Amino acid sequence: MRTEEETMKLITNRFLDCNVKKLRPQNLEAKVPESITIDILSHLKSHGYSHLATISCVDWIDDNEFELAYHLFSYEDRINITIQTRIDREKAKYITAKELWPVAQFYERDIHDFFGVEFEGNDNLEELILENWNHTPPMRKDFDTRKFVNEQYEWRDYHEQENAD
Amino acid sequence: MNKKMQTEIFFGPNFPGVPGNYGISYNFQGDTVVEAEPNAGHLHRGFEKLMEQRIWIKNTALVCRICVMEPDINEMAYAMGFEAIGNLEIPERAKYIRSIILELARIQAHLFSIGGNCGAIGLYTASHTGTLARDYLLDLFEEITGGRVYHIYNRPGGVRKDISDETFQKILDTIDELEKERMPEFDHLIFENPVAQKRWKNIAVLSQEKALEMGVTGPAIRATGLPYDVRKLMPYAAYDKVNFEVPTGSNGDAWDRLVIKRDEIFQSINIIRQLIKNIPDGPVNLDLGNGLKYKVPAGSAYVKIESARGEFGYYMVSDGGLKPYRVHVRGSSNPVGLYGVVAELPGTRIEDVPVWAHSLDVCPPEFDR
Repeated sequence: MRTEEETMKLITNRFLDCNVKKLRPQNLEAKVPESITIDILSHLKSHGYSHLATISCVDWIDDNEFELAYHLFSYEDRINITIQTRIDREKAKYITAKELWPVAQFYERDIHDFFGVEFEGNDNLEELILENWNHTPPMRKDFDTRKFVNEQYEWRDYHEQENAD
Repeated sequence: MNKKMQTEIFFGPNFPGVPGNYGISYNFQGDTVVEAEPNAGHLHRGFEKLMEQRIWIKNTALVCRICVMEPDINEMAYAMGFEAIGNLEIPERAKYIRSIILELARIQAHLFSIGGNCGAIGLYTASHTGTLARDYLLDLFEEITGGRVYHIYNRPGGVRKDISDETFQKILDTIDELEKERMPEFDHLIFENPVAQKRWKNIAVLSQEKALEMGVTGPAIRATGLPYDVRKLMPYAAYDKVNFEVPTGSNGDAWDRLVIKRDEIFQSINIIRQLIKNIPDGPVNLDLGNGLKYKVPAGSAYVKIESARGEFGYYMVSDGGLKPYRVHVRGSSNPVGLYGVVAELPGTRIEDVPVWAHSLDVCPPEFDR
């Protein structure tokens, strides 16, 4: 069983340019460069961090970047690590984690639906939740729900009900 | 295999064996599934987008609607995320009350789930009995929080109001009755029923390797023999102050999962008794000032708690503003409901599909947020 500090060393000893910090007991957060994220995931997986809870995506529109967050957990160490990586927002493309966790293909499909991020190597990125969507991906920050509704639907006028009695 | 011999069937949301607003497209060879593809999206309500547009406190009333069966779990995870980013330590009494509420919520979810499993094999009497037993707990929730299904009770910083000693007594009476009267009834009707056993044993088997690889949690992973429970692995609320066991199975089939749920009801009853006996006095929430002006420092947190179905996670990001920057919900049945259908369902017989879906607790609202 490793402590938080030992787990931090597990990453930083091998991957020098990672910023790992302890948020709370049993919770770590690692900001890692895009180029080595998959290597780190695979390294951690082979050291007991085999539970991938989910993959999250955050739209940092001001930085013109998407953040992908992989939530890993080790049942032996009882430590949760969030691996955060930033990718370019214009060319939203990343590598799939499907080879490491087959279940990731569905998390990636979900992110593709809602953020429009492509995952290289994931051959099935068909629409999962949405259907026939040809607008901006809805979870992006520049997608305005109110504007979308006004464009797509007509407002009905409100009339007092006549002859109510 | 001869393609001509295959039949395509779509099990839509109206199909009796599908757990909720969700569809699965199948290819059957005879009565065995050859291919299956989940068809989600029937229930999408855009909760995550909505949360970004509402101030922190308003989301408390929203998150509980994500999953009908687990309203308290969602409220709790949201509140825990808020407290984790803001580095808040809630009062001791609030922690105990939260645990009591979460255990009551676990019992009601398990009762409903056992009832649902019986419905899946045609034992409708038991599904009504389950719903009836659950209703007594909903009465308690109404008394404690004012709401039967959605409680809006766990708010950031603690709980909304205190529980009186009379209400604690009522909780104890209700769980006593559940233990002494309702559960033996269930045992006679379901767990000692050879016909029901035959429909669950060695059906919908999920191996330990597969469960670990898929990231399955909750009763489904415990049925394969691994005592993994977030309450023990990463204790939250007051779970580090109570003694309880984590029931496990050995075969990983539908029967083991059901027996685990039954045993967990008894464990929860035991936990509630310990908590009510040892509950400290004091305030039940932190004073965070004006609710409309809550601000959370910039940062992010992934919090997880053990729901009746497994790990329920919230990834919350704040940019220091009045509204959450991003909230991502990880439902406990996400891996089985989507990937599991593609990877695990082929080879199952048509009549076992509802048993598979119900015993693995596929809950569409969790991935159709």
